[in-house]
Amino acid sequence: MAPRTITPFGPQHPVLPEPIQLKLTLEDEKVVDVLPAIGYGHRGIEKACELNEYPKNIYLCERICGICSAIHGMTYCDVVEKLWPLEIPPRAKYLRTIWAEMSRTHSHLLWLGLAVDALGFESMFMQYWRIREKVLDILEMTAGHRVTQSVAVVGGVRRDIDDDQKKHCIEVLKDVRKEAEALNNVLVNDYTVKARTVGKGVLSYDQAIALGCCGPHLRASGVKEDCRQLGYWAYGDLSFEPITAPGGDTYSRVAVRCGELLQAIDLQLEAFAKMPEGDIAAKPKGSPPANEAATRIEQPRGELFYYAKGNGTRNLERLRVRTPTYANIPSLLVMLPGCEMADVAIIVLSIDPCISCTER
Amino acid sequence: MIDKLKEISKDQLLAEVKKYADSKAKFVTGSCNDLGDKLEVTYYFNASPGMDMSALRFVVGKGEEVPSMTGIYLTAVLIENEMKELFGLKVKDLAIDFGGHMMLAQDSPVLPMLKSEDQKAAAQKGGK
Repeated sequence: MAPRTITPFGPQHPVLPEPIQLKLTLEDEKVVDVLPAIGYGHRGIEKACELNEYPKNIYLCERICGICSAIHGMTYCDVVEKLWPLEIPPRAKYLRTIWAEMSRTHSHLLWLGLAVDALGFESMFMQYWRIREKVLDILEMTAGHRVTQSVAVVGGVRRDIDDDQKKHCIEVLKDVRKEAEALNNVLVNDYTVKARTVGKGVLSYDQAIALGCCGPHLRASGVKEDCRQLGYWAYGDLSFEPITAPGGDTYSRVAVRCGELLQAIDLQLEAFAKMPEGDIAAKPKGSPPANEAATRIEQPRGELFYYAKGNGTRNLERLRVRTPTYANIPSLLVMLPGCEMADVAIIVLSIDPCISCTER
Repeated sequence: MIDKLKEISKDQLLAEVKKYADSKAKFVTGSCNDLGDKLEVTYYFNASPGMDMSALRFVVGKGEEVPSMTGIYLTAVLIENEMKELFGLKVKDLAIDFGGHMMLAQDSPVLPMLKSEDQKAAAQKGGK
């Protein structure tokens, strides 16, 4: 047996936008064991949500993550609405769906940029991020902000999208789709990308289920599961089918996200076409009743789970948030052993880790 | 209310979790609630395929040991460590034990998710 060394990967590493440490046990260049260490970004948001009155928690939950901020805010509102229960207006359901898919579009563009950069394609990284700017621009135009969109309220949404904005969004989305498709075709057919990703970090169908994985990471192992199949908000009215890939490797995870990027744009275009007129919010009566509820929403990285317990006061008794990366980190214990040290970066990146989400 | 919630005792936990694993269900997460002198623990599972969610719940006294389900679902290792250090849930036989410092640092507050006396009083008075 070759001598073993323990090498820390992170918490500061060029491919990691956020801090997580993996203690890698190596035999020469081969990884034989891994132990993840988290806790660098724990902010106690669940506790803070008990101490604030329930409407103020929207702002806190929006700050759990900078990339899917809008989805966190809307998911919080969704679980609190289930405590009454409170039905939101049909137009609000469509608006939530549109902003959720806009978030997925810019999140996947961000990830694809990071992934190709980690593989050494700096010009393609800039191309993905260049077209991502267009999505951030329409997010800013419709929601008022590029990052923390703050569109959700308990009972619906805070802002509407008027006809001029809708027309502009459709034009931009069609343009982004064309450009993204061209880039995706280069990415998934490139020899070097295949050499660096095919057969790397393999997770089988059964392993993905046993390890509780979710999102594109799960679907890249051939599991056809996506919370949007549950038909929440407007998804029940839209033509949605989960995108899967059979390989379970890093290449499959790239391919699934390339497909989901285009699908997210198609869902927005369909939602704009079908969005009904009407109110954008229903007013909740009184405080959330003494009840408990759970909800599941498909975030760009996978299933986002919120649990809320009311006690009849303006404060929640408990809020629990489980983010997709929290579910996907344990799969690294299976995916990394056996790989070369040089492949660790792209394999870790392939789960699209979001550590601020994970630690809350 | 939580649909398909089954209340069990802590002694039934591993047998019930094994049934989920045998049916190829996915473990979603757990949550812990401070009930005063007791802790309420709920584990959530998704059927696969179909994503139908169901849950197991048990209540234990603070200080009582509960078995770890990481021998069946390794992925529960994060939530069990988290409940241990934030709520003081005494989980026995964890597959990976972070020793109370997965989320918290050496100088962090101790068991920060337990209800403070102020919180309990506010809830009894009907909130602020």
